Amino acid sequence: MANLLQQTTSLWNVTMFALAAVVLLLVVLGFVTYAIYFERKVIGWMQLRIGPNRVGPLGLLQTVADVAKLLMKEDTRPQNADKALFALAPVLAYAPAFGVLAVIPFTDSIQFADLGIGVLYYIALSGITVLGVITAGWASNNKYSLIGGLRSAAQMISYEVPLVMSVVGVVLMTGSMNLREIVEAQKDVWNIVPQFLGFLVFLVAAQAELNRTPFDLPEAESELVAGYHVEYSGFRFAMFMLAEYVYMFGMGALVTILFLGGWLPIPGLSFIPGIVWFILKFSLYVFFQFWLRATMPRLRADQLMSFAWKGLLPVALLNILITAVVISVQNGSFHS
Amino acid sequence: MLGFAKGLGYTFKQLSAKKVTHFYPDVPFPMPPRFRGIQHFSPEKCIVCNQCARICPTECIQLTGKPHPDPEKKGKIIDTYDINFEICILCDLCTEVCPTEAIVMTNNFELAAYSRDELFKNLQWLDDNNTNVREEN
Repeated sequence: MANLLQQTTSLWNVTMFALAAVVLLLVVLGFVTYAIYFERKVIGWMQLRIGPNRVGPLGLLQTVADVAKLLMKEDTRPQNADKALFALAPVLAYAPAFGVLAVIPFTDSIQFADLGIGVLYYIALSGITVLGVITAGWASNNKYSLIGGLRSAAQMISYEVPLVMSVVGVVLMTGSMNLREIVEAQKDVWNIVPQFLGFLVFLVAAQAELNRTPFDLPEAESELVAGYHVEYSGFRFAMFMLAEYVYMFGMGALVTILFLGGWLPIPGLSFIPGIVWFILKFSLYVFFQFWLRATMPRLRADQLMSFAWKGLLPVALLNILITAVVISVQNGSFHS
Repeated sequence: MLGFAKGLGYTFKQLSAKKVTHFYPDVPFPMPPRFRGIQHFSPEKCIVCNQCARICPTECIQLTGKPHPDPEKKGKIIDTYDINFEICILCDLCTEVCPTEAIVMTNNFELAAYSRDELFKNLQWLDDNNTNVREEN
């Protein structure tokens, strides 16, 4: 797959690459459909309900029906909204969500672009989504959307700092920002063991980046009606929802690669193909998301910021320090 | 930190716990024995005393009687008996006042209909509504 990018451009390999991207899009859409289904099922089970069970066998077509309904809805726009920005915002939110998937190595061969700075690319691109959210909040010309949008911007920018800081530990250990090399460096032991502190910080910060419980303040249903997308309906609203779940896909893939050893098998079980391992670890993270959502209440807005700056960031910095010291000692920097 | 683990452990246990969902439209919902549902009317017991129609607070019961077909016997028998369930409040007064228990409550309660006309139940319908009749009236 990767060598397709290196070849000289011809109609054939451009078509092939576009086709591969469409396949990835379909896979992601399928994931989103059934992630929502399982989210509702798992949360239902945890709340002693049975979850969706009416549409199709076992309710499997529930999300399909929901999406069909969304697409058929009228595309409303508030009268005093900023027309251009209002239309641009969902695109701005969704495009980077799909863009980050380009550098994710699903196995050692299935990867779209083998960037040397894969981690940086992911973090940088995912920052653009904040812009989409804030644009949506502003363009809607509604106080609830604006509050939601600004909260979201504050939250996502603040939590990006500990997120990046927690990844630095992994980058230090590997000596590379290439996602493939990061996975291959975990041959002996997955990063979750030596980088456990970093893993915890990453987990919490990722939760805030994804705007999911307990950090779902931007769309706090009970306080802000729905946050930045109150005024959106139909297709545009579906784009925001899609962006959110595609980010969950991306973040699940990233945490699998950075800390859970990507496609590497548990020693002794290497006869199972790498992609299965990847999906297994990835599903574990996604399940954890649903589990957390069924357990946690929402954080208070004033606690949110202080938790990021006074709680997570020092821990992340400490993790970097410890990692740096240990690596220096291993390299013998303190002897000569 | 321990609280987080505790909470997560609790929700995880709930995952396989017995669900409390009732499968209501698929499986009938058992109502408590004194539930006030749609009335059952047995014409052979009725003595056309009109008490039910008079006590009804919403005046939703209309009935007419006719002379007994056997000329030897006194009194009347019921001819038509209609309850308008658009306004019936299922207050139980008609069944309480009935001296012969000709009108009694059942545990049936499904009255949803597409047309208001369907809510106008006649003698035949109320006679046939003889399932889940309440034991004590």
